[in-house]
Amino acid sequence: MRPLLRKHWQHLVLFPLALLWLSPLLWIVVTSLKTRTEVFDPASGLLPRAAQWTNYPQALSIAPFDTYLLNSIFVTGGIILAQLVTITLAAYAFARLRFPGRNLVFGLFLLQIMFPIYATFLTNFVTVRELGLMNSLWALMVPFVASGYGTFMLRQAFRQVPTELADAARLDGCGHLSTLWHVYLPLVKPTLVAFAIISVVTHWNDYMWPLLVTNSESVRTLPIGLGLLAKADSGADWTRLMAATVVVVSPLLLLFVIFQRRFVDSFMHAGLK
Amino acid sequence: MLLPSLVFLALFTYWPILRSIWFSVHDVMLGSNEIFFLGLENYTRLLGDGLFWKSFANTAIYTVLTIPLSILCALLLAVALDTRLRGMAIYRSAFFYPVMIPSVAAGMVWVFLYAPGYGPINGAMAALGLPRLEWLYDSAWALPAIIVMSIWKYSGYFMLILLAALQLVPRDLYEAARLDGVSPLRQLIHITVPMISPTLYFVVVIGVLHSYQIFDYVFVMTQGGPADATNVLTYYIYQNAFQFQDIGYAAAVANCLLLFIIGLIGLVSLTLGRRVHYLGK
Repeated sequence: MRPLLRKHWQHLVLFPLALLWLSPLLWIVVTSLKTRTEVFDPASGLLPRAAQWTNYPQALSIAPFDTYLLNSIFVTGGIILAQLVTITLAAYAFARLRFPGRNLVFGLFLLQIMFPIYATFLTNFVTVRELGLMNSLWALMVPFVASGYGTFMLRQAFRQVPTELADAARLDGCGHLSTLWHVYLPLVKPTLVAFAIISVVTHWNDYMWPLLVTNSESVRTLPIGLGLLAKADSGADWTRLMAATVVVVSPLLLLFVIFQRRFVDSFMHAGLK
Repeated sequence: MLLPSLVFLALFTYWPILRSIWFSVHDVMLGSNEIFFLGLENYTRLLGDGLFWKSFANTAIYTVLTIPLSILCALLLAVALDTRLRGMAIYRSAFFYPVMIPSVAAGMVWVFLYAPGYGPINGAMAALGLPRLEWLYDSAWALPAIIVMSIWKYSGYFMLILLAALQLVPRDLYEAARLDGVSPLRQLIHITVPMISPTLYFVVVIGVLHSYQIFDYVFVMTQGGPADATNVLTYYIYQNAFQFQDIGYAAAVANCLLLFIIGLIGLVSLTLGRRVHYLGK
């Protein structure tokens, strides 16, 4: 018994903990299949007597979830594409070019990590309003086009690229941009993917900023739509709400399950090295 | 090459910070063009504003409790997972998946879990013979409830980063310690923690930055209530700006938040940053 215990103690500790961690997710799924009375009746047990699949079409019919989904895809895609361009150029400059004040400017880039949108939303709101971008999909993207974090990650990766490779390319007559494109970018693909995954998870789930700058259905994203539904229902109909939650959380969770290794590696090594 | 980034950083990071300082010494109302110079009046008002101090204290309590607790939790999970364990990938995902869930969805589900009447947490407490609590409706338990939820949400992320660092710790150190009869707990404190201290430091900084997200939880779960027991600086800025339309005053609060974050990061780098142990550097 004792050697067995010593060998498997991790499972004894981890298994119940993992169940505890998973329980909110299980609760969402289970509730989304219950009837309303089952939710409020503690005596009805944990599982629904018969799965109520109709909760799903009902939940999806209350709000334009297809518009939300398209907006989410457009906004997240737009942010990440713009970021990849800005961080690649900036990281290359910081990693390989010499210019006066380089460290100071790099410090300024890092300032953005410390003061994300949660710290600057107030004045950014005023700015976006003055720019006339209020209640447009652009408003959801512009504050995130530059990324101090992404620049930092990619600079570290560029520095690992042997300078001989770049020098060879230069001798062959490549300019900065084509060296960047043909030599550097192919070599730092893992970092680009890692940053892209982190960025997509962040902005797909963004709540505060989209909440402030949108006020009509045509520009809302999935998290905002879900929040509104919650407010409208105010806890009266958990079955519908949980069905909508399943729909909103499943795209990322599915991607996570399929590309688990990629996701884990990205988050694991983000900022290290 | 820096230009594209700098334009956007200037517009949405530097300019807002400068402007927020300018706003805070003026009387600015949302949607009005009249602006009056106030000097430091907004700040003197802050000093006498009990609600400001309360939200400041709540922000501090939340940060100071959530970060160490979730890192401790993450460290223990990472150590337990840092063996060639069967089902390791499943465990890892089970602890990590909350990071993928939007804050609004997480907040909402936990409102349900914490529901006093029919919520499963109270159900479980009753089954264990513990008293039922009002959780988010009780001013003593609302903030702790949000802290517990945050630990659930972020531990997996920190665990993953720590796991990457643990895998780089030379195994023979543990082997030697075990031969000398050092207990697992002391191995953790005297070998593991010093060896991964740069990563721990990094995780603390990430933790500080993630603690901003409490706005989402407060907005979804409690609206700052009950009786402002969960009002935090970010939410108080929001209230002043968008409910009371007082941009100038909100900007003064925002500047205090910036100072708080600078102070916190400064404190962390002075205390922890100094003690970080870099192998071979």
